[in-house]
Amino acid sequence: MKALCWQGKTNVSVERVNDPSILNPRDAILRITRTAICGSDLHLYDGYIPTMEPGDVLGHEFMGQVIETGSEVKKVKKGDRVVVPFTISCGQCFYCKNQMWSACDNTNPNAWIMEKMYGYSGSALYGYSHMMGGYAGGQAQYARVPFADVGCLQIPEGIDDEKVLFLSDIFPTGYMAAKNCDLKGGEVVAIWGCGPVGQFTIRSAFMLGAERVIAIDRIPERLKMARAGGAEIINYEEVDNLLDELKWMTGGRGPDACIDAVGMEAHGVGIAAAYDYSKQRMKVAFDRPIVLRQMMQACRKGGVVSIPGVYGGFLDKIPFGAAFGKGLIFKMGQTHMHKYMQPLLQRVQNGEIDPSFVITHRLTLDEAPDAYKTFRDKQEQCIKVVLDPWREAA
Amino acid sequence: MTITTNLAPKNGEREFSQRPATSTQEAILTLAAGSALAGLGIWRRGWFGTTMGAAGGYLLYCGVRDFHRPYQGRVRVSYTISKDRQEVYDFASNPQNWPKFMHAIQVKNNGDGKFGFSVGEPAGIDFESNVEITDQQSGEHIAWASAEQMLEHRGVVRFKQAPGNRGTEVFVALEYKAPAGPIARALASLVGWGPEQVVRESLRHLKQLMEAGEIPTTKGQPSGARGIRGTAKRIIFREGPSEQAVEQTRMAGD
Repeated sequence: MKALCWQGKTNVSVERVNDPSILNPRDAILRITRTAICGSDLHLYDGYIPTMEPGDVLGHEFMGQVIETGSEVKKVKKGDRVVVPFTISCGQCFYCKNQMWSACDNTNPNAWIMEKMYGYSGSALYGYSHMMGGYAGGQAQYARVPFADVGCLQIPEGIDDEKVLFLSDIFPTGYMAAKNCDLKGGEVVAIWGCGPVGQFTIRSAFMLGAERVIAIDRIPERLKMARAGGAEIINYEEVDNLLDELKWMTGGRGPDACIDAVGMEAHGVGIAAAYDYSKQRMKVAFDRPIVLRQMMQACRKGGVVSIPGVYGGFLDKIPFGAAFGKGLIFKMGQTHMHKYMQPLLQRVQNGEIDPSFVITHRLTLDEAPDAYKTFRDKQEQCIKVVLDPWREAA
Repeated sequence: MTITTNLAPKNGEREFSQRPATSTQEAILTLAAGSALAGLGIWRRGWFGTTMGAAGGYLLYCGVRDFHRPYQGRVRVSYTISKDRQEVYDFASNPQNWPKFMHAIQVKNNGDGKFGFSVGEPAGIDFESNVEITDQQSGEHIAWASAEQMLEHRGVVRFKQAPGNRGTEVFVALEYKAPAGPIARALASLVGWGPEQVVRESLRHLKQLMEAGEIPTTKGQPSGARGIRGTAKRIIFREGPSEQAVEQTRMAGD
């Protein structure tokens, strides 16, 4: 089959590799019909996530048709159309049973690396480094899905692939980010980053009762899409001081909740940004926590700081005094996918949201290496790339 | 919670032998490598030289120390398995199940509570060790001790009800005398044969097998060309140099 393989920093290529096969009794094999490039894939592309190996198959947002099942797969049947969550969960451990699916104990074959780095290992992910399990990803024509009965979300007939594909990561991720803000109605939510996750966060915040959403970015087309979703917008490159602007817009209170839909590769302006860039370039830090610092400063007293953006290592110059002084609440982590997929599919079926609004590029797998670059550099007004692994380039 | 391995040498009150763990050859090799590194470090100077000198000094220290005293190590690992205590005990104490979850160890049942454990067979090196169950109480603990001097170890596995109905806490405590010096120990750790790694991964596999019904794996999945860098990384991450599938031990249908 054809698959997109990581070869090194800013180097990915489409290669011919073996087809996947059933390796464990609870596995299934999928013929992939649609797959997408995620913002977090760009962290791999830029080489900021350790333990990648040349030859790794990338991709963790995919869906397709089941073509083979292992002996212990009971619920999922051959021929089913399914969406696969990017986290792999066993469904049997303490964490799965308590709805903390992304903390699953039993799916990471390389758990020892995470235990060394973080103390304990969370669930494995598809195509996202060897400390996260080293599973081959879904930017390919076929994929192996471990624990298929737990992971696969069956999709009824009559809904387009494009409407449900994002149940694999970005829609539930945006939704959980908003859910973590514990909205009761009438809140003002500030969201840093209007990439695909940011867009879903904006819409989810409104669904969950936010009265106003303020979206922050610097890319015109992303801000435009945010405004179309009902948000007020700030281009942080055009304002003198983002924190003053937020204070002004919220009547001096500050946002009730701040959401970081950016993560480790924030851009930012000024001295703080330059400091983080140089540290990252010297390889003394993986992360540029510019957004995190701004949120801790901007958030109202007792407010919630919700972090769906990915961080990897040790952060520094974090204003923890501000967080303590204001009694902030922090919520973060990989999305507990399995908890949100079914209810969100329901919302899509009810017509409350059509997630395909975020797609700007529909390409073939062969075009994926260029698409990574386009997406990373935000050229061609690129917001979200969806790949059809079976279509040949024109 | 501290666990002593007192239960283990119950049979005949055996204690560890006084034999030095390191063979003379390896001690000489360690000392030679240490002096070479330290010498090179002093000669080169600079940051890199300092690091090399320090590494050489450490090897020299290990070599001298091992002449006098065998390397004795301790391992403590615990995991919680969300199954009843008796169920966990019954599964873990049944020698027929051991090959299903033991990491890097081949088990041979010699009958009468005695077993042959060997490590390293796939690589052509064979450390065999005869193991004897010295004490056992259903649902409580299993203790073992090794019989001969080559690879001495003794330990105990305890089973305890976890709070809040969370299943069973399994504790493994083990003492060992490594038949190797620092270089060989480092190499063993690199391929996942370090005693701590063997115990930790075996216990993890037991948990995965009992909770999820299978041990997660990526062996045999497709990948692009790995190249030299990718292959080297696979060894560092203990995934084995190639991705050939190993026969899975599975609980399903047992």
